[in-house]
Amino acid sequence: MRNIVKEIESKFSNHDDFFIEEELVDSSAIYLIGYKTLVDLTKSKLYVHQMAASTNSVKELFTNLSGQINVESEQVIKAVLEGNLVIFSHNGEENAVVDPIVQNLRSSIAEPKNESPIYSSLDAFGEDINTNLGMIRKRLGSENLCHCSYQVGELEKRKLSMLYIKGRTPNALIEKVDHQLKQIKSDIETIDDLNKQFGQRRLSPVSHLFATELPIQAIHSLKKNRIVFFLDNCPFALVFPHLIGDMLSSVNDRNFPFILSVLLRIFRVIGAFATLILPALYVALVSVNPEVFKTDLALFVAKSREGIPLSAFLETIAMVVLVDLILEAIVRLPKSVGPAITMVGGVILGQAMVEAKLVSNLLVIVITAVVIASSAVIGMQNSLYIRLLKYPILILASIFGILGVCIGFIFTVIYLASLTSNDIPYITFQIGQKGDVK
Amino acid sequence: MTNRIQIGVIFIIINLSFGYLVYPNLIYTLAKTAHWEVVLCQAFLQLLLIWIYFKGLSFFPEKDVIDIYLKMGRWFTFIFLTPLIINLVTLFALNIRLHTEVIISIFLPRTPYWSIMILLFFISIYTAVKGLGTILRSSVIIFLIVIPLVLLNIFTSVVNFDVHNVTPSWSLPHKFLFNIKFLYLIGFSSFLFLGFISSNTKLKLRHLLVPWVSVTLFFLTVVYIPLFIFGQEAVVTLNNPFLEAMDSIDISWFSFNRQAIFFGVSLVGLVILTNAVLLWMIGQIIQKMLKRQKEELSYWMMAISMIAVILSIFIPSKSLIEKYFLWSTNVQAFFMFVIPITIFIYGFLAKRGVFGYEK
Repeated sequence: MRNIVKEIESKFSNHDDFFIEEELVDSSAIYLIGYKTLVDLTKSKLYVHQMAASTNSVKELFTNLSGQINVESEQVIKAVLEGNLVIFSHNGEENAVVDPIVQNLRSSIAEPKNESPIYSSLDAFGEDINTNLGMIRKRLGSENLCHCSYQVGELEKRKLSMLYIKGRTPNALIEKVDHQLKQIKSDIETIDDLNKQFGQRRLSPVSHLFATELPIQAIHSLKKNRIVFFLDNCPFALVFPHLIGDMLSSVNDRNFPFILSVLLRIFRVIGAFATLILPALYVALVSVNPEVFKTDLALFVAKSREGIPLSAFLETIAMVVLVDLILEAIVRLPKSVGPAITMVGGVILGQAMVEAKLVSNLLVIVITAVVIASSAVIGMQNSLYIRLLKYPILILASIFGILGVCIGFIFTVIYLASLTSNDIPYITFQIGQKGDVK
Repeated sequence: MTNRIQIGVIFIIINLSFGYLVYPNLIYTLAKTAHWEVVLCQAFLQLLLIWIYFKGLSFFPEKDVIDIYLKMGRWFTFIFLTPLIINLVTLFALNIRLHTEVIISIFLPRTPYWSIMILLFFISIYTAVKGLGTILRSSVIIFLIVIPLVLLNIFTSVVNFDVHNVTPSWSLPHKFLFNIKFLYLIGFSSFLFLGFISSNTKLKLRHLLVPWVSVTLFFLTVVYIPLFIFGQEAVVTLNNPFLEAMDSIDISWFSFNRQAIFFGVSLVGLVILTNAVLLWMIGQIIQKMLKRQKEELSYWMMAISMIAVILSIFIPSKSLIEKYFLWSTNVQAFFMFVIPITIFIYGFLAKRGVFGYEK
């Protein structure tokens, strides 16, 4: 065994799943190197022997097996880490990096877990970046679909792919994003780590990236002049830039007749709007500006709050926080326990709190409406940030009444309007090939 | 295309914001009958000035008003634009204070005015600091929320109309044309900002026709709704005729007691955006005149708005505010004549090659 093989062996001495196997091919020995955990050794051996049977020399075998022959030792190490099989000749002078028969570590293409589309194809993106890219290529067979791949990170080099349609996505945007991706120094562990690379939005609840599980949605975004990223081991297509339209319209809507899809989108707008202002409006109308109602309505509202010790603001904020806690708890719990929380939560919120006269009937109705409304928007992250933005409006409403609701809502609108990613504003519905179109 | 819609929208918003409060009072003092003649004359005068303005600006493609003044010479810029800044700051301060008084009287009669004023100031400053793009984008959404409310107000007020209140509607002594107050009316139609954004859009006069028509219609309704409801004799004695008119409406099937709250809600949206535009204009002038960095601009705007806050807090009474507000719109009217005309003349002469100006 020659120096270079020894060197590699010493480098991987702490890795128990590392193997160096000696094999005899054409009466000369070769060494197979790789990870047992990543390479299916038995099948790979068989494959090498089958290939060897039809070749005459080791050199010919190497050429047939691989496109990467006689690489430097650093690249050998990198190839091993990436899960490739490396073959050395007996004297260690020749080597080849072979795509092995891999251990199957991935789940196969499955149905989406975070979205439930109706009237649509049910494939969702998986863990493997190449599978995901393949899913896009298969559905969008166009020569203009461009793919740039990057390896980013400090500790581990993580694969990152950028897809765009040439001639549609603005060139300036592509160059800017390309520059930003090449600047990445730190590890990209989560979607938010990638999000941070697109400029300062540290305290913003709205991400630069819209994550979707559905290939058709990703392809639709590509066709709408946007960029799609794929991270290795991340079962989402990350659409850049994230626009407000992602919250309100999905490509699946258009499987219905036009008028129905418009209706669906209007419902989502109402949902977002109601989530933002309903709790605040309740507080404002009950505690600060009851005089705007007609007398009978005002009396009805006052009656429903009769004997309730908490102030309107306190009861509302308590209920809103409680509901958000329940939503979070359901996510955390195993599937078998989740329904229990739903039931207990429903009973407590619906019956017990009202009967104990802690909160008013009317508030329970309002809160229920808000929970339902906040789930009407597309995408969990959008639903979450809409739920977050209702708190400032609620606080303003408790101080200034209807005026507070109004100012709070306008402030929210202005805030959303001020967001941009790489000079593309968040509040646009389309990106033109040069600039933006509202 | 879209930018034009946004600019049209913000043009309507600014006119609405100025038109709601003091404008009807001024019209009532100008004419006893046939108010529509005054409004229409004012509208056509406005259109004429906008035309001159655009014509002047079209001599200088890719340039805004400040660039053109800087081209005329530094001293010109200082002489014309420093008073404009001072006027804009006072207008900014008085506009917010005036609106705050009305908003308080609608929503929260017992709350001290400064708390709401500072809130409005804060949001206006925030919007202005975020820049023109933010103003334009948010204006479209706020427009979509505010305009239905305005229309609701206008259409629900029909129930109280009494046609006899506005007769006779024809009268032809055009004395008002020679009244200096007629020229002051122009101060309420804010179009100066159009020249500040012309550098990055190709705005033409015809794109503004639809906004102009809707603004004129709106001015007519603002003047005529109180007239229809109260009549000329009663209207001149009222402080805020439009607000009183809204308060007088009572629709039995509607679950809200007061129409005025919708009026108030629309006022909030309008005043925030209008003030953001004013502040943005101030910032633009300062930045270009003193050649400051864009990053520094937000500090300048904050400093200027602090002055405005102090100014508006220290005005003691509501009647004084209205008086000062009228004065500052009068000054505004002066600029609305001077700036388009100087730019037009300069552009005309420059095109003739009088100053050796080359394209």
